[in-house]
Amino acid sequence: MKNYDVIVIGAGNGGLAAAANCAKAGLSVLLLERHNIPGGSASSFVRGRFEFEPSLHELAGIGDEKEVGTIEEVFNRIDADVEWCRHDSTFRLVVPAKEGDEDAFVNEDGVLVTVDARMPVGFEAFSRKLDELVPGSYESCRKAFDMSIAMFKAFECMENPAKIPGSLKDVPDIMRMTAHTMTEALDALGMPKKAQDIFNTYWCYMGSPASQFDFLYYMCVLHSYVRSGTGIPKFRSHEMSLAIDKKIRDFGGEIWYNADVTKIIMKDGKPVGVVVNGETEVYGKEFICNCYPYKVFTELMDEKDVPEMQLKMLNARKTACTLTTVYLGMNKTKEELGITDYSVFIAPDSDSDKQYEAAQNYFSGYCIINCLNEIIPDCTPEGTSQLFLTTMTFGDVMKDVKPQDYKKFKTKVAQDMIETCEKALNISIKPYIEEIEIALPPTFARYLNTPLGTPYGYMLEKWDSMLPRTVQYLKDQPFENFWFCGATQERGDGYGCAYYTGEKAAGIVIKKLKEGK
Amino acid sequence: MANKFKKLKGSKFIKMLPERQERFQSAKAELPAFSDNATALAKALHPKKQFLKIADVKVLSEDAKTFTLVPDEEMGTKSLAYFGAGKYLTIFETINNMPITRAYSISSSPKDSLEGKYTLTIKLVEGGLMSRYIFDTWQVGTKVVASAPAGNFEYQPLRDAETVICLAGGSGITPFVSMANAIADGDEDFNMVLLYGSRSYDNILFREELDALQSKCDKIKVVHVLSDEDKDIEGTEKGFITAELIKKYAPADKEYSIFLCGPQQMYAFVDKELEKLNLPKKFIRHEMFGEFHNPASQADYPANVPEKVKITVTIQSETQTIEGSSADTVLQILEKNGIAAPARCRSGECGFCHSHLLSGKVYVPKHLEFRRLADFKFDCFHPCCSFPLTDLEINVPLAK
Repeated sequence: MKNYDVIVIGAGNGGLAAAANCAKAGLSVLLLERHNIPGGSASSFVRGRFEFEPSLHELAGIGDEKEVGTIEEVFNRIDADVEWCRHDSTFRLVVPAKEGDEDAFVNEDGVLVTVDARMPVGFEAFSRKLDELVPGSYESCRKAFDMSIAMFKAFECMENPAKIPGSLKDVPDIMRMTAHTMTEALDALGMPKKAQDIFNTYWCYMGSPASQFDFLYYMCVLHSYVRSGTGIPKFRSHEMSLAIDKKIRDFGGEIWYNADVTKIIMKDGKPVGVVVNGETEVYGKEFICNCYPYKVFTELMDEKDVPEMQLKMLNARKTACTLTTVYLGMNKTKEELGITDYSVFIAPDSDSDKQYEAAQNYFSGYCIINCLNEIIPDCTPEGTSQLFLTTMTFGDVMKDVKPQDYKKFKTKVAQDMIETCEKALNISIKPYIEEIEIALPPTFARYLNTPLGTPYGYMLEKWDSMLPRTVQYLKDQPFENFWFCGATQERGDGYGCAYYTGEKAAGIVIKKLKEGK
Repeated sequence: MANKFKKLKGSKFIKMLPERQERFQSAKAELPAFSDNATALAKALHPKKQFLKIADVKVLSEDAKTFTLVPDEEMGTKSLAYFGAGKYLTIFETINNMPITRAYSISSSPKDSLEGKYTLTIKLVEGGLMSRYIFDTWQVGTKVVASAPAGNFEYQPLRDAETVICLAGGSGITPFVSMANAIADGDEDFNMVLLYGSRSYDNILFREELDALQSKCDKIKVVHVLSDEDKDIEGTEKGFITAELIKKYAPADKEYSIFLCGPQQMYAFVDKELEKLNLPKKFIRHEMFGEFHNPASQADYPANVPEKVKITVTIQSETQTIEGSSADTVLQILEKNGIAAPARCRSGECGFCHSHLLSGKVYVPKHLEFRRLADFKFDCFHPCCSFPLTDLEINVPLAK
């Protein structure tokens, strides 16, 4: 009978970070992954002469020449080898004009728009640019960043009180920030509405609109991007996942691929082991779970063993958004296509709550277009480039689609997304598509095994935001030796958030097993 | 606008935790009823395995048979996964204690799968282990285990031209029969010009079915290209599929795509012909032709490779050392030693056999190199198209 200190269920970003840190601490670790490769969302796939990035838009924690970023640190701590490519702009938001829009103008691409905001890196530069686009927004924008700067200082104090003197009392705004939504806070700061819309562009990275999402967390995110730009791994996120996979094995951990956990073995009210592929039993002292609570409690356990509170939590929360991504291998360069930005957010309306409303149905006109060659010029063969187009939806938007209609449905959605980008950027995409792959919620459901195929966990609603989740983390766990990590936990979706939760769960387990705490 | 931020109540934070607890407490304590067609579709389209049984066997010629497969309800398969025309099934068999897999394109229409029917047409390959086994043992009632439909050899209207010149050789006709059926059924929409290479008129597989499809649907045109036919037969061409022949049947004033499916030798010949047409890469698509043999025939295959190699393989926590021939792929060596390994396409493309190479060297024919960039950096490889050059130490996932 196989017995481990720690069994990690799922080799997504959270599970990988958890397994690597436990193994590094000298614990015996078994990482179980139902797919044949690690990473979950952090992967890649090859079509023809293109290798596509399946999910990563950009990482905020890559740092620059001056300092090491927070995500870099995750890899440095376990000595995992990833080559980073940096990028020093944030986003461009384009809102094509609708009939009757009084504030419409023709932009540099010759498109009639109401917003065209290409935002730079740097708090001051960002604030000045916003003021240029929406006069009268400088003060409020600068104030918001001053608060986020103070907030990060406070976080450092909390993490390392011995080194950095000071306390939360020095930043009384933190409580205000977390208790209020983006809309409430920016209104109070006196930011003009249109400037708020531009300021809130990254809302989709967390999947909750401005009226729902707490100001504190949004500022954490925006601050990280604006501070020093972003980065991505040189060889798609498959590189990040394989780098950690290697370290887990170097540290003496075991990884079983194609190993689907089909049951959690319970004894005296707590997990003692798991069944793999319906046949092999393995036992462990502690369990770190990168699989969604919904799947664990509905598929891996008998209902009688599920703590009542966990069932209530499942019912109280909303599954976060789902994504549709179109991956395009182009037989033209980005210059030939006329693409000038890494990341353009195209929105049917600048207001995030209206974008959210529209995303309750299939394709609302909201589309992010990314061109990887902007950051990694040689990521495709000479004379070619790769694009990926992303849109999001909420709820079971596939509910009326039958298997036999799925292919046509997919193609229609992709066509709508491509045409939206062509119109909004005044470029031509369709004639130059050499490879195309279309991922809809069922694709993500297949690879990620999440409800509705969401990669985002539970919606970060006003009452279930980052700080309360963090404070309640220990209380939210179902058993004394079972720790969830990944997008369903404190920080919601995002690579950095998942790594953080994995490291945190590992920290708890290491303390328990090594120090008896 | 004035800054009123200081007037926002920080004390609201204190209430957040109780409110969250209250939200949880007042929710129902039961398994949630949850509409999730995304997951339902994923499961319907990509079942882990399909348990099938043979309902009909049709002998097409002395070396080709068509098998009709239906769900094996006793084994838990109630319906068949729908598929896009052009996809294949990987068949799992155990022959003399040797677990092996083969990919076969589905020849039936996607619509038939909704009525619980797939057909596979299998040609007896000279010296072929699986085809021989299938010919000898598959009969009505035989139980067969298959994968979900897989592969990327499909028509995609956003990428491909409105007309597709389909070049088929021998049993490479099967995905095109499925596509032609899908066009006739209205499930696919493109003009198909099928140039089908066979040895002689009597040798043509699916001749009657293709004739019927052609007369039923004006989007389908079939031209038989016969390499060893003595008689002149109306509507057929003699010889091989050449650039000239493609031009003769291609639309004069419009773009067209080329899809190829056939044996290795056909690709070697036709690819040279296609170069003359100077088409953009996006308009030429090859189906994988299955397992590659005889690596030593390749120009870049190194010299002085030992004939026999040892492979130390770890699957989950079990490690063993086996021996094999350097002329076999790592996957074949595993199978010949009775070790099941994950495999689907057996052509390097699908990535299903992705494994770790801990030590040693392998040779991968260039045209089968579908590894990801990070796979090179971290020494990962695809056993199905990798030939050992030295003794190896490898880590392989469990067969699934």
